[in-house]
Amino acid sequence: MLATLLAAVLTQTPVAPAEPSPLPAPRAPDVSSPTVPLGALPPATHELFQRLEGQVAQVRIIERRSGTRSSIGSAFFVSAAGHAVTNYHVVSDVVIHPDDYTAELVLKGGGEPVPVRLVDVDVVHDLAIIQTAAPVAHFFDLDDREPPQGARLFAMGNPRDLGTTIVEGTYNGFIRDALYERLHFSGAINPGMSGGPTLTGEGRVVGVNVATMGNQVGFLVPVKHARELLTRALGAMDTGAQALLETVRAQLLDNQQRVTERLMGEPVPQQVLGSYRVPGRWSAFLKCWGDTPHDPEVPYTVTNYQCSSEEDIFVSSRHRTGVVSFLHQHATSQKLGALRFASLYSALFAQDPDPVEATRQDVTNYRCQSEFVDVAGLPVRAALCMRAYRKFPGLYDLVLRAATLNASNSGVDTSLTLAGFTADNGRKLARRYLEGLSWTR
Amino acid sequence: MDEVIFLEVLEGDSVQARHRLERFPVSVGRGYGNDVIIDDPKVSAEHLRIERREDGALVLRDVGSQNGTYRVEPWAQLAELELAPDTRVSVGDTLLRFRARSHPVEKTVIAAPPTAPRPRMFERPRSFSLAMQALLGASLLEGYLANYGRTDWGELTVALVVPLGITFLWAGGWSIASRIARRQFHYRTHATVAALVLLGAVLIQPLLTLVGFSLGVSGNLAWAHHAAFLGLMAWGLYWHLRYVTKWEPARLIRVIAVVTLTFGALSRADEWLGNESFSTELGFRRALLPPAFRLVGAEPVEDFFADAVKVQEQVDALAKEP
Repeated sequence: MLATLLAAVLTQTPVAPAEPSPLPAPRAPDVSSPTVPLGALPPATHELFQRLEGQVAQVRIIERRSGTRSSIGSAFFVSAAGHAVTNYHVVSDVVIHPDDYTAELVLKGGGEPVPVRLVDVDVVHDLAIIQTAAPVAHFFDLDDREPPQGARLFAMGNPRDLGTTIVEGTYNGFIRDALYERLHFSGAINPGMSGGPTLTGEGRVVGVNVATMGNQVGFLVPVKHARELLTRALGAMDTGAQALLETVRAQLLDNQQRVTERLMGEPVPQQVLGSYRVPGRWSAFLKCWGDTPHDPEVPYTVTNYQCSSEEDIFVSSRHRTGVVSFLHQHATSQKLGALRFASLYSALFAQDPDPVEATRQDVTNYRCQSEFVDVAGLPVRAALCMRAYRKFPGLYDLVLRAATLNASNSGVDTSLTLAGFTADNGRKLARRYLEGLSWTR
Repeated sequence: MDEVIFLEVLEGDSVQARHRLERFPVSVGRGYGNDVIIDDPKVSAEHLRIERREDGALVLRDVGSQNGTYRVEPWAQLAELELAPDTRVSVGDTLLRFRARSHPVEKTVIAAPPTAPRPRMFERPRSFSLAMQALLGASLLEGYLANYGRTDWGELTVALVVPLGITFLWAGGWSIASRIARRQFHYRTHATVAALVLLGAVLIQPLLTLVGFSLGVSGNLAWAHHAAFLGLMAWGLYWHLRYVTKWEPARLIRVIAVVTLTFGALSRADEWLGNESFSTELGFRRALLPPAFRLVGAEPVEDFFADAVKVQEQVDALAKEP
């Protein structure tokens, strides 16, 4: 559902104009202009591909017991010492289960795969640096110059294990109001191309292929994050598996601190639902939707209002984090008696928001407490539930559920989901959220 | 051996027939010419005789039977046997026992002083119709209150038919047991007990909701639900079994207590052993009632979030488990 919502957002909202880049933008390939002399045209796609093919490789994640690949992705070389950039989600198995998985690279022309070492990761921006033992002759320079919107770009990678390919598309700037910075690339990015580079016509890296929503809607990680990670990785010591997990934990902690400060720094806007005021679009990164199903046969109406960051952080294939979302359901009825309305209201209160994906290895079960709470004169039945992360101590998923109890034929049932926050930050945000509930007589 | 002895035909532990023997010799066999007739196809027409020897002792003698006569302890075929008190002898598939008139009997069982029989409440015809009406009314009301959509007549019909059907089937099962054990069906009594048990089952959840909501109980009251269910089960079993067995009430209560507690423990064993399976469920009580039912006060937001530290401690402890 999230994907369709996000798709809807992207089709409905125009993309923000690209910010002016500090350097003069490189000349965009423009084949339609008849005035440009032939020699001034950028190299044709096949020339670009021939020149750069050797700098892009396929990443294979090898499961030790079966001795064969469990997943694939792409990577590209960024240093003479054999450093290559890929996505965190391509190598996440190696980070989370270092005893069960290893990674290797298949270089140009096939041949024997070479083993690689995982050097550093940036879980929040979904990037990782791997390194081969042997130095490489050709590699990409990571300099950060943003192309103008509409510029022609070329995504490279190994889609669905079909061999290194090059795909043409256009640059459409930063995703507006994103919680985690992403570029919008209008071109076909397919599974297996994750971790490959997207280039300008001159072969300059603009971003790292990371996700797709189908129908030519692709997403890139801005190259500046890859450059920052590479700088850090070049200065880093030899890192063990435990140190990498610690790095991931530190990055998740930093990220939730950033999100918390951003949310706490803004006032909670008030959204009107019937005779209630509820938390509205708290921060720009939240996308809000609402609806009231109209069925003349039912003796009540329920209005939904939900906001979500619609983005998450990939920790492992079955574990996501970094989510902020909330949902209000305003129920009202003129026809139902108090007890039957209470049945309806109980049914709404019993519906939990979509769970954030995680498995037994990642998190504990939830534990809850529920009480009657007085929110500035408005009586509320509130429940606070938490579960702890097993691999990243100090991080929690938190769910706040609350139902107003001031009237016998109307009420607002609300739920807030915070994934990957410290207990203190989670409580602070949940409290600010709960205090955003009020009632106008 | 005494003058008069008794020949007892045994069936299992109990005596099937008892013959008083006064004049000897006595002939035993399948034929109608015998003094004691035994209807066992493996017993010969003239099977054995019991005679008084010259020294006065009673002697059992096989008179050439087809399948022979056997002493039970120790097991041996016999042609002649001097009868001692409590001697047991096997002929064909039949076991015979000989006892003298002086054979001691066990002490009288001391019973509670008997009371005048009074009709129990749910033996009265009125009780059955009242219990049935209460059950159907409760079921109908629950069906009506739980449905917040458009009135669904089909569902309300089901709310009437299902308890009715269950009551009659349930009572049928128990009354067959009564008939086998006590030669009487007691159908109406069993149906009354069944209706009362079902009424309890219908009422447990709303009552717990009422208590949980009014008093603002934080947990989901699963243990209370379990205990109430076990109590109801024990009560129902007790009254059904009163009409099936002849056991003393005290003994019945002991047996039912053991059965109920064992069942209760087994059904909760998983939880008590700490084998909680992974789930993304949020375990708190969901049922809400109209605001007027709330009896306890609401606590300030400050306190609510201060209490949340306990939740954090609980999940931290869970995370430390392997």
